[in-house]
Amino acid sequence: MEHYLDVSMLEPCEPMEQTLAAIEHLPQGDYLKVIHRREPHLIYPMLERAGFAWLTEPGGPSEFQVYIWHRDDQIAKAAVASRSN
Amino acid sequence: MLNTANLSLEQAPPISIPLRFFLTAPLFGIAAALMMIWYGPEVMTSRWSPQTLALTHLLTLGFLALVMTGALLQILPVLAGIAVPRVVLVGNLVHPLLTVGTLGLVAGFLLGSTAWLKLAVVALGAGFAIYILAAAVALWRVELPNNTVAGMRMALLALAVTVLLGLSLGAGFAGWDTLIYPALYTNVHLTWGMLGWVMLLLIGVSFQVVPMFQVTPEYPKWIRSWLPRLLLVGLAIWTMLYVAAVNKPELASWSLVWLTIILVGYIAFAVITLRLQQQRRRKITDVTLMFWRIGITTIPISFLIWGIGRLFPTAMEQVDLDLLLGVCMIFGVAIPLLNGMLYKIVPFLSWFHLQNRQLATMCMTVQIPNMKQFLPDRSSKRQFWVYLLALVVTLLSVFAPALLVRPAGVLLALSFVLLGHNLLQVALRYREVSGELSEAVADGQEG
Repeated sequence: MEHYLDVSMLEPCEPMEQTLAAIEHLPQGDYLKVIHRREPHLIYPMLERAGFAWLTEPGGPSEFQVYIWHRDDQIAKAAVASRSN
Repeated sequence: MLNTANLSLEQAPPISIPLRFFLTAPLFGIAAALMMIWYGPEVMTSRWSPQTLALTHLLTLGFLALVMTGALLQILPVLAGIAVPRVVLVGNLVHPLLTVGTLGLVAGFLLGSTAWLKLAVVALGAGFAIYILAAAVALWRVELPNNTVAGMRMALLALAVTVLLGLSLGAGFAGWDTLIYPALYTNVHLTWGMLGWVMLLLIGVSFQVVPMFQVTPEYPKWIRSWLPRLLLVGLAIWTMLYVAAVNKPELASWSLVWLTIILVGYIAFAVITLRLQQQRRRKITDVTLMFWRIGITTIPISFLIWGIGRLFPTAMEQVDLDLLLGVCMIFGVAIPLLNGMLYKIVPFLSWFHLQNRQLATMCMTVQIPNMKQFLPDRSSKRQFWVYLLALVVTLLSVFAPALLVRPAGVLLALSFVLLGHNLLQVALRYREVSGELSEAVADGQEG
């Protein structure tokens, strides 16, 4: 199941705060889709440490979509792969 | 753009490094305000009085330079993706050297003591040499510099010119060297300091932080690519014209015309920034934006006052125009811009470091405060209104020093006390939560 979070109108570090809060209770099998105004480079090492994987796709001239799932969650990973294909 | 290829959390210095710069800076602001209360109108009657020079350097070195150098050590890894080499050692050396050097310089001016001035020249020379070298190594290691890095390089070159001229003037006042044309080189020194180091760093950093933090469209590409370079070259040409005019007075008017052209470049930057802020997509006004609007608006106002004074000298003959310009640039441009940035940087760093520790230890029982919880809006907005009142009274005090310098000093002291208090509250909250995290981790390991 997809969870959706649009942080494109927020200023730093609210996008990071809200993304980390959203993934805290992300169920196995689900992934989070985050809409950003810029590529959120600073959050990647944090996701890594917290045990999450991600995929970033440019979604437009000023938009990035970041898909986040539990690193060991193969179902969510497959869902993201089929979603982005 | 951030460069994640090189970015790692370990590259950022420990939070104690930037915090010591940021927490010391308001103390120098308070000292400057106390000087205004103590000496009164003497500090606003001539830019050449020892009291005015001491006051100026308490603010430019004690407040502005400490905040700017501390911030750059911290944000280089984030904005440029590259760490300052030996950043802990650099921070440990630069902070005490700049602090002692500034105090020595102020004591030297106020007491007329060459011994204090010698101490200041040595300490400031060593502090800035270490800092410039370390920052230069980091900035010039970037293989594909973005516009912000390019702007920072220009700013660092301007800092080197400012420091060299300042040290040469200091050595002259300390009796180590012969002072040649002190007024001329003082003007070049302060022009490179304000229009070079302060303004070029502001412009370079704005290219990133205005669209990012204030949710505005990007700056036009030509501004990002060319403005800092053109301004630096413009300053170099102005310096040659201005110095050459000593022997060829016919060049004096050319140096003035050239300076006016450069100022148009800064005004263009300010106008574009204000237009971008008008187009911001997020309509909630926060305190950093309020400080930035004041700082950016004061840029064209300062230069217009200066231009009117130059064109119609009789209109303002009672007022020292250069002093007014200095007050506008320091109190009205540089201080509010840095004050506003501090309210973003310090809560962000506190949140960021704690969040990282929490993720590294996976200790989720401790709640990390968000940025607003670290620094409530009401505290920072209260300081903003006190600052704004202080700015207005300080500007008016140039016209009526006998009446207004002391009230301006009281308001400025209050503004810096509130700023220091707000930043200290964030630091204490950081320490408290950090302690809770350590305890929770220890409990978890025991369990």
